[in-house]
Order: sequence, then C-alpha cells, then structure tokens
Amino acid sequence: MKSASTLSSAFLQSAGQALPEPLLALRANRASALTDLLLPTRRTENWKYSAKHLKLTDEMASSLPLNASAGAEADIQGYTVVLVNGVVRPEASNYPALEGLSIQRFSDLNGDDAELAADLLGKSISDQPAKHGSINLSLLNAARFEDGLLIQLQPGTVLDQPLFVVHHTSASHSGSAFPCILVAAGSNSQLTLVEDYVSSGESPVMVNTATEFSLGDGANVTSVRLNTEGQNVQHMGTTGVRQQRNSRFESHSVGFGGTLRRHDLHVRLEGEGAECKLNGVVVTQGTQHYDNHTTIEHIAAHCNSEESYRNIAADKSHAIFNGRIHIHQDAQKSNANMSNKNLLLTNGAEIDSKPELEIYADDVKCAHGATIGQLDNDSIFYLVSRGLSPRDAKVLLTMAFINELVAQIPVEQVRDTANTGLNQFFDQAFQEV
Amino acid sequence: MLSIKNLHASVEGKQILKGINLEIKAGEVHAIMGPNGSGKSTLSQVLAGNDAFEVTEGEVTLNGDNLLELPTEARAREGVFLAFQYPVEIPGVSNLQFLRTAVNAMRKHQGKDDMNAAEFMKLAKEVSKQVDLDPAFLKRGVNEGFSGGEKKRNEIMQALLLQPKLAILDETDSGLDIDALKVVSDGVNALRAPDRAILMITHYQRLLDHIVPDYVHVLADGKIIKSGGRELALELEAKGYGWLGVKDNTTASH
Ligand SMILES: Nc1ncnc2c1ncn2[C@@H]1O[C@H](COP(=O)(O)OP(=O)(O)O)[C@@H](O)[C@H]1O
Ligand SMILES: [Mg+2]
Repeated sequence: MKSASTLSSAFLQSAGQALPEPLLALRANRASALTDLLLPTRRTENWKYSAKHLKLTDEMASSLPLNASAGAEADIQGYTVVLVNGVVRPEASNYPALEGLSIQRFSDLNGDDAELAADLLGKSISDQPAKHGSINLSLLNAARFEDGLLIQLQPGTVLDQPLFVVHHTSASHSGSAFPCILVAAGSNSQLTLVEDYVSSGESPVMVNTATEFSLGDGANVTSVRLNTEGQNVQHMGTTGVRQQRNSRFESHSVGFGGTLRRHDLHVRLEGEGAECKLNGVVVTQGTQHYDNHTTIEHIAAHCNSEESYRNIAADKSHAIFNGRIHIHQDAQKSNANMSNKNLLLTNGAEIDSKPELEIYADDVKCAHGATIGQLDNDSIFYLVSRGLSPRDAKVLLTMAFINELVAQIPVEQVRDTANTGLNQFFDQAFQEV
Repeated sequence: MLSIKNLHASVEGKQILKGINLEIKAGEVHAIMGPNGSGKSTLSQVLAGNDAFEVTEGEVTLNGDNLLELPTEARAREGVFLAFQYPVEIPGVSNLQFLRTAVNAMRKHQGKDDMNAAEFMKLAKEVSKQVDLDPAFLKRGVNEGFSGGEKKRNEIMQALLLQPKLAILDETDSGLDIDALKVVSDGVNALRAPDRAILMITHYQRLLDHIVPDYVHVLADGKIIKSGGRELALELEAKGYGWLGVKDNTTASH
C-alpha cells in the first residue's frame, strides 16, 4: 500500500497579483494552514472514485498567466464579466451601473468592501468535511486566489437580466487557475448568476473554483453553472450557500465530462422558511469522469429542499452522485426531497449513486430515491419501426430522461448551449456504424 | 407485394414459426386467425424486423426486395407498418414530436421536404379526428397513460399519417368496445387502396364483420394450416378452432 502523500509546497505559492491587505492576510493564513494537506487517495471517503484521476504535477502548481487576454466568449447578450485564468478582465466585461448593484474585482476593493470580502471568503465552504475523513481540495482556492469578484446587491435590488460570469482558462502551458466569486445578496434582492466555465489550449491544467453566496432575508438567487471545458482541464469546483429567513436559492448545473470534473455544492438553510432547489444534469462519454457531491444542511425549522440530479454515462465513462442531507436537531418541520436518476448507455460505463441522510429532528419529511437504468429496447424498436433512425430514437429517449431538467434552466442562452453540447454528445454516443 | 416462403423463426432458442408460406398482392386484405400462442405476433414482429426474433430459414420479399436484409427503419421507410398488439408507453417523448420525426424520416426517404411544425400540426389534428382521438393526445407522451382503446386508435392514426405500402395490424381489435371497434374499422377501411396490402391479425371473427378480407388464413403452431375466402372465418366462428384439430383454451367467437 502506497502511503498518502502531501500536497507539493509549490501549490501554496501565489503569483503576486496586487490585492488589498485583508485579502492578502487571509490568503497567507489559509496557505499556511494547508502545508500538511494530504492528497486524497481512493481510501479517502469523498474521493473514493476520483482520486485516481487527480494528477497534480509540479508544472501545474504555478498560476497560469495573470494577464492573458480574453477569447471570443464575449459574444454573450447581456451583462457579462470575464475572468481569464482567474483574473477579472474589465476590458472584456460589460455590466450596468445599476443602483444598488456593485460588481468589483478583488484588486480594486478597499475599506469596508475589502473587509467584507475577507469576512465572506470561505464562510460557506470552511473545513466542514474534515470530520468525515474527507479531504477538501477546494480549500486550495482560498490559499491561492489571485483575483476574484465581489458582487453586492443592496436590499431590494433586482437585476433585470442574468449576469454571466465567463471563466476562461487559457491552457497554453501547464498551470492552475483559482477563480473566486463572492455574492452578498441583501434582503429581498434578486439575481440570476450564470457561471460559464470554458477553456482553450491543450496543456494539462487545474481549475479550482470557489463561489460563495450569502442570501439575506427573502433574497432570491438563481445560480446556473455550465461546464464545457476541454478534456485537459482537471476541474474542482465548490459552491457554498448560506440562506437566511425566507430566502430562495435555485441551482441549475449542466456538466459535460472531462479528465476530472468535480463539483461540491453545499447549501445551509440557516433561517426559517428558507428553501432551495438543486438541479443537475451530467453527461459523460469516452473515459470521462464527473463527480457531483451535494450537501444540504437543514439548520433552521420550516425549510424546504428539493433536489434532482440526472447522470447519463456512455462508453467507459464514470459519473458519480453523492447527495447528503443533514437535518439538524432544531430543524423541525423540514421538508427534504432528493432524487437521483441515472442512465447507462453502455455496459462499460459506470455510475455510482450514494444518498446520505443524517436526521436529528423528529418532525420532518424526507424522501429520497435513486435509480439506474438503460434505454428500453422495446421503446427503441417501437420508434425505429416508424422509420426513425436508431440514433434519433435513442436521442428522443435520452432527452426524455433529462428534458424536464433542461427545460427548467431559466436562461435561454444556457439551454441552447446545453442542447448544442448534448447533440455533440449524442453524435458520439449514438454513432451509427 | 409481399411474398413469404418457408419462414422459420425462433425466440430464445424456441422454434415458433415452422414454415410459413404466404403471398399478398397489392390491394388485397388478408386476415390471419389463430389461437393464442400460435405465432401471430411473432410473424408480425419478424416482418417488422424485431431482432429479438431469429429467422432460421426461409425468405421474405417486398416488391421483390429481400426484406430480411433490411434494418427495421429501412423496412418502415420502404412502407412496412406494424400496428402493435401492445404499443409501448414512452413517457417524456411527446407524441407530436415523435410523429413528426417519423413522418419527416419517411418524407426524406421519398425525396420530399420536411414538414414544418405548423403544417404537421394541421395534418395531425385532421388525422386524429379521423380516429376520434382528442388532439390533446398529441401533446402527451407517446401512449403515456392511454387506455387500451386509445393506444389502438393511436396505432391506426400513425398508419394513416405514414401511408404504408404494407400495413400489418396485430389484434388491433382486441380490447375495443363496439363504438371504438367501429372507429378503428373505419380507419382501416380508409387505408384500403389498390396500391396497398393489409395483413390483419385477429383472434376473433368480429373485426371481419367490419373489414371484409379477401382471404383468411388459419395459423396454428407456427404454420398456416388452412386458407380460404371470408367464409372460412364464419365457419371458424361457428365451429371453433377445434374443428381444425387445433387446441384452443379460448373460444374463436365473441
Ligand atoms: N419475447 C419472447 N420470449 C419468449 N417467448 C416468446 C416471446 N414472444 C413470444 N414467445 C412465445 O412464442 C409463442 C408465440 O407467441 P405469439 O407470437 O405472441 O402468439 P400469438 O400472437 O399468436 O398469441 C408463444 O408460446 C410465446 O410464449
Ligand atoms: Mg399476439
């Protein structure tokens, strides 16, 4: 048995982008806390399936160029902020000066805003999984971010259209990027944030992301996450959410597989009457890998959570869903619903689904279900007997499996991109020989 | 049109069809009757190309072309249509989208342009009225939550939309009440045409009161044991399958 190795110290060296003092101090503090960080192995509980895909070489330790220019992604209609290699590119960005809305890059923060960012950073992610014998590589983001975005909505501010944040990783050579977004949504404010992860270049790189949402009373935030990065990108993303009274959080994620894709989503329902809805669609093919871990913590009473994740795996790919619901002792009248449905398109593909429930309150409603199935041959024959090609028949059946979730994505442009990606996936997966 | 010679087929190693011979000409309507388990559905599935069934001997041609060589979708595009005895429910796939994809696959094969959504909707509404199905069914999943009778009417509606050369109707009459039987029969009669052949499979004679066949064949234990005109159906009704020395645990009449 090979003993666990520690993370190379090279991964704790930042490149030195100018940042306000409170953030520099926080980053140095986080980096020193990670000097003994163990790399996960297959024995690490929350890395059981993904550890073997993690390949962190010393060439990947250094930050990718901080001044790389943006690509062609700027043709998005609407409010856009572009980050390249984790650094905000104001010249490629386009967003309104709206009363009550402030979008600032970390390097521009000063005074109270810098303090606020330092205060929010890591608050919804923290080191929670440590007690499970797990390893949280997302902590690396707080030790290494070079820049980031602080988005603040004053109470009652409503953004009239989605804000796109495009995370472009330019992999012209090996290295890492650590994009970071903090959202402070004041009471009764409303925001739809689209995070679009894309890449160019072929070198092996790591993208380690952190997105943290803090929702005030009655705030309504929708987070859309789309991942179409190249195969060369090892993606480790974390989203942390803290919700106060009567706030509502929705998450819609669409992921296409890669060498290593991992997303950890952690929602804390801290105020009474808060509710969240988490939808996720993942498709993998070839030897791709995608690992979704979600945690919903019902901390206050009278909160609702609704979760639906669907995986489709083709060829020899591997998709994983791990969904944890933790209902705290005081969270009476909690309502939690979790569903995970999976579709295996070949015998060589693998899907692992693991619901975890920890319930410490006695008056709760909690339902969960997981299924793994294959396309039904009788259904395929029926469709093909009407003249449909086997490809079209399989596409109709596969889309039927995820349509409901794709249709719920509240941003048309994301639905279109998702459908384009799905069609490419089908062309590969249902190739007619 | 259709020529079946010495057709043998098995499923899961079990021989079901044991030498079927049948010639159907354009414009004719043939009925195949026979007790449960005699192989009627197997014959229809083999003709449509279900590869769960293995053809072990014999040949089938459609207008001279070897049908058995073609994959299922190519048979459909050449004009073979099977109304299933048990149509599958496919939740989540809209009937409308499915039907339009099917019609356009057929049109493409015939070198015609695609029908757009509006044109197709108009056509589909007309045809659904012809089989007395509420057009609201078009918006539902394929056969999703349909009653037995609605499923059968949906099958006939598809035949009317796709205008096949050879329509095989597998017990399209079973499970229908008198009114629905009338609607379905009217639909089938509307399909009768000089350039089209119809193969009707039925367990009961009552369908043949509405759709008068040119020929009747009796299938038992994987073979056609008797052929005749429509009077054969009446004789079967009067005397039961036992008259032909065939065991049947249900009655032939209704
Ligand atoms: N998929 C199948 N697997 C195994 N046996 C089958 C299958 N389909 C049909 N059979 C068997 O083949 C025989 C003929 O069935 P079928 O063609 O459905 O008869 P019919 O339609 O005349 O009632 C029956 O004994 C039936 O059990
Ligand atoms: Mg049958």
